[in-house]
Amino acid sequence: MKLKEIERTAHQAWSPAAHHPIYLAAGTSAQQLDATFSTNAALEIFELDLSDPGFDMKLQGSIKTANRYHKLLWSSHGLGSGGPGTLIGGGDGGLIVLYDAARILAGDVEAELGQSVRHTGPVRALDINPFQNNLLASGANDSEIYIWDLNNFATPMTPGAQSQPLEDVGCVAWNCQVQHILASATPSGKAVVWDLRKNEPIIKVSDHTNRMRCSGIAWHPDVATQMVLASEDDRMPVIQMWDLRFATSPLRVFENHSRGILTIAWSRADPELLLSCAKDNRILCWNPNTGEVLYELPTSTQWCFDIQWCPRNPALISAASFDGLLSIYSVMGGSLSAQSQRQVDMISSSFGNFDPFGTGQPLPPLQLTQPHVPAATVLPLKKPPRWIRRPVGASFAVSYCLHGTQTFKMCGSLPGGLVQSHYVYVSQVVTEPHLLSRSAELQAAGHTGHLREFCHAKVQASIDPLEKDIWSFLQVNLEPDPRSKFLKLIGYNPDELAQKRPWLHVVVTISAIELSISSYSFADVDGLIGQALLVGDFEAAVELCLGDGRYADAIILAVAGGADLLERTQERYFDKSSGIGGTFCIIKVSELQDEQALSLSFLVDALGSRLEMEDGGRLCAQACLCYICAGNVDKLASCWDGTHQCSDSLALQVGMYPAVGIFGTNLTCRLVICLKIRLSFNNVATGNCTHLRNGDTREQPYWIGLHLLHSCQTSKNNIFSHRILAYFFSISFSFSSSTPPPMMFILLQPAQVQPPEKIEKRPIPEEHASLRIAFDGLVQRCLIAASDPQTKRKLDDANKRLEFLYDKLREHSVSALSLVSRDFKTRNVNVGIYFKNIISCLRAKMPSHLELL
Amino acid sequence: MIHDAQMDYYGNRLATCSSDRTVKIFNIRDGAQTLVAHLHGHDGPVWQVAWAHAMYGSVLASCAYDRKVIIWQEGKHEWEKIHEYKGHDSSVNSVSWGPSEFGLLLVCGSSDGGISVLQRAADGRWEAQKINNAHTIGCNAVSWGPAVSIGSLFGQSPQYIKQFVSGGCDNLVKVWREEDGQWKEEVKLESHSDWVRDVAWAPFIGLPICTIASCSQDGRVFIWRSTGSSWTPKLLHKFNDVVWHVSWSITGNILAVSGGDNRVTLWKESVDGQWACVSDVNKGDDSGLRSSI
Repeated sequence: MKLKEIERTAHQAWSPAAHHPIYLAAGTSAQQLDATFSTNAALEIFELDLSDPGFDMKLQGSIKTANRYHKLLWSSHGLGSGGPGTLIGGGDGGLIVLYDAARILAGDVEAELGQSVRHTGPVRALDINPFQNNLLASGANDSEIYIWDLNNFATPMTPGAQSQPLEDVGCVAWNCQVQHILASATPSGKAVVWDLRKNEPIIKVSDHTNRMRCSGIAWHPDVATQMVLASEDDRMPVIQMWDLRFATSPLRVFENHSRGILTIAWSRADPELLLSCAKDNRILCWNPNTGEVLYELPTSTQWCFDIQWCPRNPALISAASFDGLLSIYSVMGGSLSAQSQRQVDMISSSFGNFDPFGTGQPLPPLQLTQPHVPAATVLPLKKPPRWIRRPVGASFAVSYCLHGTQTFKMCGSLPGGLVQSHYVYVSQVVTEPHLLSRSAELQAAGHTGHLREFCHAKVQASIDPLEKDIWSFLQVNLEPDPRSKFLKLIGYNPDELAQKRPWLHVVVTISAIELSISSYSFADVDGLIGQALLVGDFEAAVELCLGDGRYADAIILAVAGGADLLERTQERYFDKSSGIGGTFCIIKVSELQDEQALSLSFLVDALGSRLEMEDGGRLCAQACLCYICAGNVDKLASCWDGTHQCSDSLALQVGMYPAVGIFGTNLTCRLVICLKIRLSFNNVATGNCTHLRNGDTREQPYWIGLHLLHSCQTSKNNIFSHRILAYFFSISFSFSSSTPPPMMFILLQPAQVQPPEKIEKRPIPEEHASLRIAFDGLVQRCLIAASDPQTKRKLDDANKRLEFLYDKLREHSVSALSLVSRDFKTRNVNVGIYFKNIISCLRAKMPSHLELL
Repeated sequence: MIHDAQMDYYGNRLATCSSDRTVKIFNIRDGAQTLVAHLHGHDGPVWQVAWAHAMYGSVLASCAYDRKVIIWQEGKHEWEKIHEYKGHDSSVNSVSWGPSEFGLLLVCGSSDGGISVLQRAADGRWEAQKINNAHTIGCNAVSWGPAVSIGSLFGQSPQYIKQFVSGGCDNLVKVWREEDGQWKEEVKLESHSDWVRDVAWAPFIGLPICTIASCSQDGRVFIWRSTGSSWTPKLLHKFNDVVWHVSWSITGNILAVSGGDNRVTLWKESVDGQWACVSDVNKGDDSGLRSSI
């Protein structure tokens, strides 16, 4: 497929492979005149810009020269110093001239580096040594062959004595494998191979037909002893392939051209591609190893006299033809119809689509009569060229494992001498080997049911006291009677406690009285509460809390003490309360009451929370122990994360993974826990959360989470998926300082199978409508008045609660009467108390607004 | 020569394609491998295979030098050809399935410079859209991007977009996006100085950032990042040989780079944004390899 076109009758030379971008130099060719009979000569450099769809090439530099050229070369000599290399031209009168390509590109008129007229006659043969880019071989009339050193251009050397009889040297070529071997060929059909170390011809090649007229010679890029010769003679338009190991007759003869071959070019990128162009106007691409014609270029009706592979872009060739065109083709095929359409578009757009006549109508697209393109589609080479054959490629597989490994596979071929064997390897990439071995250990213990022994072994093996504690607590969790064992572990003897109990009760009561009377700060209230709890005397503990002003704690404890105690505590609380904090506790507690029976674990859990909050996190380790006792992995993980952000990851694994094995009763549960731990773990492992916050690094847990979510939804386990969802929320909130929290939520949207249903709400029954108006108005006014964000949040919350209340009213499950009175039960208690408290709180803060009510 | 090997969604099966013009499917459970299918249909070397998302069953696409793309499906008893696409004029070098949200959606890049997007319609027919001259003298690689635009993350409902990246012989990496049913070149990324051999859009894992890896004949691997508007390149490494293939791990945090010197290196980004080589696997070296076929 033709890509570019330049209207020049010129010899061309591509910039060297190492040079980027790709340039094409064109030097006006000698012995050719066009209809203007102009004898001007120029050396021009064009840039190949493939992103430009047009046929034109951009002229990057040009100089006028005194001579025209028979041959042009672009050597990488001087490329190392940053320049684009050296251009070498061979002209009439034995002229060899060197130009600095950099100076031509810079527009410098003085681009010539040196010249020599040592040869006689036109210099048609030039070649640069592929190993030493300063060595130039040249050939001209009278069997002259010179070897030039571009660093010292003054005096050339000869490869040996001139061969007799004296003939023109039509072409020279350096061997591609052995750097001191040079071949030359004459139009009479003889090829001579020279050894520069011996300084003499070592072999002469001729087929005895005397009809070969060599127009081209090329060495095999890979096989040192093979070369091809092309014949210009119309009676024998063949290419002969010779192997010097048997140089009495050609190895192969390629016959397809009907007239003499003008030039040949062997691809360096794929030794199975050899181009030839002949006087029959055809350009053929051969596989020189088989003699098969792989490709025929769609060309003009004119002879091509020069053809070259682009050294950098292996799919490109340039061809210069006698009709004054320099064309660049791709051998990969492609569609011509797309291209001709492109030309039409270009012409069309160059006219502009604006409205030149002020008619208010833009001009219609230009209609061009298109020349009929007979074969719109150009097929690519029959054989895939070497440069598109991918030899190797490793891809990650989709499967994954929660334990920090990723399956990964690679494929490719392994060269093994002449017979190539090809393999596909499946490998596993283990990114966290320590974690893997630990988890395997734990899993083994879990499978065999020896978790207790496992814990015990860990206790024995631990050095760090905290680690020891953790393992001990975990072990106790697995014992038959955990509560008593816990007490023992903490250092209390149940029997002793039982004895102490009456005494303790007295102490507690006394201290409570003291507290309430004199507001004397009892130094060890915490200790007393703790002891009261240990012996199970909730009433005393509540008393102590109330005395100390810890209403929230009091209520939580009261919950455990039974409904009666709770009620009394609430009463007392409302009598005293002016704050709002405790209210939330009540609500929370009431909710909990409905859902789960409170137990020791709940209390320990609450204690853990307290510990975590207090003292700026210094007691977090103890809090962790509490969570372990309570079996609360969520909190354990988050607490651990908070304390150990900078500590090493192993510590976390120590704490976490056992917990997984022990608390994870079923698979789903384990997965959730694993996920959570993975999340925490990653934060720890990467040092801190900041990079996550900045969005710099991709973290696998999110993805795993998403995946889990997906799999859960397919298994219709919605509760599970919502738990994950909730967890994502908490994660995104915990990073919320700069990452907007909604992100996670939205990401999860596409995976969500069931969108939340939109429920049409019925109107509130008429008898309650006034209530709603009153409440809404109240909230509205409060909203206007509320200035601090905290209050606003609470009002938002109030709105939600109200909405819940309205729903209840709609269902007629609660009467307006019971709402106003305070004697209602269980769930609805929330609304009433809650709202009452909001109002009272606001009243305390903004009396003026509420008086309006 | 085996040109590509891909594991299916569950990691149970491996599809390989080769210069022998065929595709082979192996069961590779528990380290043992058995040949379960040998697919004939191409007339030239098969360059790439790609598994569709598991929700569409066992569907495999293959592309070859014979200018064809074939889509295979596992039937009740054997694998069968369900579609053959012949819309390209030259070697089809790369195929990539789109995100599962869009149904069966395939993009193919060819040496004719064009890119085709194939979509299975509701009635089971396949519709093709072709971008002509996407990469002058040839497209070498295509890779789909995520289905959700990162720009829409903060809105109420996610915006679905069809987008992919391609790399070609014009040394360019291009990002394409569908707008009103038409494919538009969204951005042209220039940094490579030679053919772009492969591109890979990193899996979407929830961060508001898009990442593309590209590798080239010039031995360089670039990591392109975008947070919405512009793409910035970062040179991962300059290798001494052609880099043929790049592949992201499923979680997008490890990049496998396969070079012409038969070396596979794994790269991971550190906290401070520097990429470090975490593993170097020489293919001839058997250590660390679980099984080989």
